[in-house]
Amino acid sequence: MHSGPKVYLLNMKVLLVFAALLVGTFSEQLFVGDQVLRAVASDEEQIALLRALGEQVDLQVDFWRDPTKPGRPADLRVPFSRLQAVKVFLESHGISYSIMIEDVQQLLDEEKRTMMLSKRMERSANKFNFASYHTLEEIYDWMDTLVADHPSLVSKIQIGESYEKRPLYVLKFSTGGSNRPAVWLDTGIHSREWITQATGVWTANKLAEDYGHDPTVTSLLDTVDIFFEIVTNPDGYAFTHSSNRLWRKTRSINAGSSCIGVDPNRNWDAGFGDIGSSSNPCSETYHGPYAHSESEVKSIVDFIQSHGNVKGLVSIHSYSQMLMFPYGYKRTPAPDHEELNELAKKAVNDLAAVYGTEYTYGSIADTIYLAAGTTVDWAYENGVKYSYTFELRDTGRYGFLLPSSQIIPTATETWPALLDILVHVQQHLY
Amino acid sequence: MPGLRAALPAALLLLSSFPPAAAKQPPWPWVPGVMHALNPSDSQASAAARTALHYSNYHGASPSRLRALHQVLKATVKAIPEVGMKYYMHFTTEDYITGEDAGSCLATVLYLKKSPPQVYIKCTHTQDKKQIHEEDNRFYQYLQHRKKPIIASNIPDSYGNIDRDHLALWGLAIAGSSCIMWERSREKLAYFVAQVKAVKQWIRKDSAVEFEFMILLHETPTQKIDLCHMHLIWILGHPLEVKYICTSDSHGLEDGSGQDSGSAAGMFHGKEGNF
Repeated sequence: MHSGPKVYLLNMKVLLVFAALLVGTFSEQLFVGDQVLRAVASDEEQIALLRALGEQVDLQVDFWRDPTKPGRPADLRVPFSRLQAVKVFLESHGISYSIMIEDVQQLLDEEKRTMMLSKRMERSANKFNFASYHTLEEIYDWMDTLVADHPSLVSKIQIGESYEKRPLYVLKFSTGGSNRPAVWLDTGIHSREWITQATGVWTANKLAEDYGHDPTVTSLLDTVDIFFEIVTNPDGYAFTHSSNRLWRKTRSINAGSSCIGVDPNRNWDAGFGDIGSSSNPCSETYHGPYAHSESEVKSIVDFIQSHGNVKGLVSIHSYSQMLMFPYGYKRTPAPDHEELNELAKKAVNDLAAVYGTEYTYGSIADTIYLAAGTTVDWAYENGVKYSYTFELRDTGRYGFLLPSSQIIPTATETWPALLDILVHVQQHLY
Repeated sequence: MPGLRAALPAALLLLSSFPPAAAKQPPWPWVPGVMHALNPSDSQASAAARTALHYSNYHGASPSRLRALHQVLKATVKAIPEVGMKYYMHFTTEDYITGEDAGSCLATVLYLKKSPPQVYIKCTHTQDKKQIHEEDNRFYQYLQHRKKPIIASNIPDSYGNIDRDHLALWGLAIAGSSCIMWERSREKLAYFVAQVKAVKQWIRKDSAVEFEFMILLHETPTQKIDLCHMHLIWILGHPLEVKYICTSDSHGLEDGSGQDSGSAAGMFHGKEGNF
């Protein structure tokens, strides 16, 4: 029982809503009073009984999850009129069950209502809703509208493909020149950290809107290019919507293991494989078979190396409220520790000035824990002096499930801190 | 913890004088037997403070009075050879649900290698005791008098929303989960409640309130998501009775046949609890 009733409902919902819409004119309420029961067979005999139950046509039992082996749950949708009979059947054979969904129609109505409401809002406002979380498709569509709205500033480039062949898109902010010094920004490398992709969208929009109006941003973009990858792990992000909201890693298949995915923030070639990462494919911090094995990571490595003029990098995560710089893979202070520390201190103070949100700061190893093979360590050791990583809100109350009402406040307070780093890079080009 | 209670006067004396610490933070690892000052923003200090709060939130047995860490003011640590690491802390807190200031606490946490940490914690009360009693009582009565069992899932949901009707239930889940988190905390292992995946009430004839929960815990630094099946009995004014079994759940059901998720995989079984 990992993703709960909602997982199956999500897959079935599409089918059911479609079916419901199809037959809409004839009957609006197809599933009133229907329940979804979860039955767990304790032995093979009970498995056989459950299968037989499904075969009894007059009972109209519809398996959302088939009975497979003892101990594994089977989910059955039972029409209202057959509930009594089915429950008596289960009870008389000692098959334990529980009610997963008490009224299927109610759930469908509610979801349809929410979906329609959100669509109506977006259509009439004709504006992207920055205060809500979006699907991958919605974010990719929005990128195109951003480019269309700011064609002389923003362009979209593809730097590669994810494991499951999704495009890896980067927004390029540039006012011209030829291979100007650049800063790399990324959000969403860990897919469950939804506040980061949402903050990325808001921030990209902010950059585009402020250029030509805010003197700091204008001066910045007249000097420096920005490359912004908002959904750095699209496979993982899609998976958090479809199946497991708390998925962190990529979705690559690991040879010889049934466990999927590599931690993209342990896959970089800096202290690769050291303490602070795991060699177990089932671990959430699995570093992968070798450095840059993940296309999501390799694409960035190739891009930054071939660009050759990237001077700053900010990789955004959540949660913990921290601003950190190298090193993560060792406790030795980085050569630029003093300067990086001072800048972090300034950024964190400017962040706190907005709503009072408190961040801690320092090197990764000092501030959080030893972590090997991270983005910022690789960047720092490959010529990107100003390498930082944020851990956005909160400190554990909601954790990964940060309410959407906090998207805009989070993005708003992070903005001045980000700007401090960008401006410092601009003023200290090397 | 009778041993700790007997040592209470001594502990208070010790805490009030806030033991003198070595001047500089030494390089890793700690010199045993000597008090070392920690930078209050050190994540180890925060982790220890949170461990103390898990203990407090569980033993408080009150869904309306839960504390979250706000800020560590002062922290020191001492290595006790053959035993473990003992943290001494002074920190401020906020109400877990509302975020309001909830006073400050003094605490010691002795991390052991293989058993739950030994915690001593004393907090100031800025919250109105009477109000908290009333809220707990109101919620308790509501739960007691229900004819139909409460069944809910995904608190908060994927978008971080919690129905107003489910806030107190969330509090109860956190209070119970705090038992799990306290018992499992080690010096290098910390926990947060990621989500209350499912909750089901069992209606009782007596005055107790009974629930089964499926809780997702976020473990750091491993980044694992543990699924815990928790059975909780609440009698107002009494310690919470919590039984649980946890399984590591980093790989959802989607990953195919190889992934057996262990004994807690099914949801709620039949009539009896399964312990």
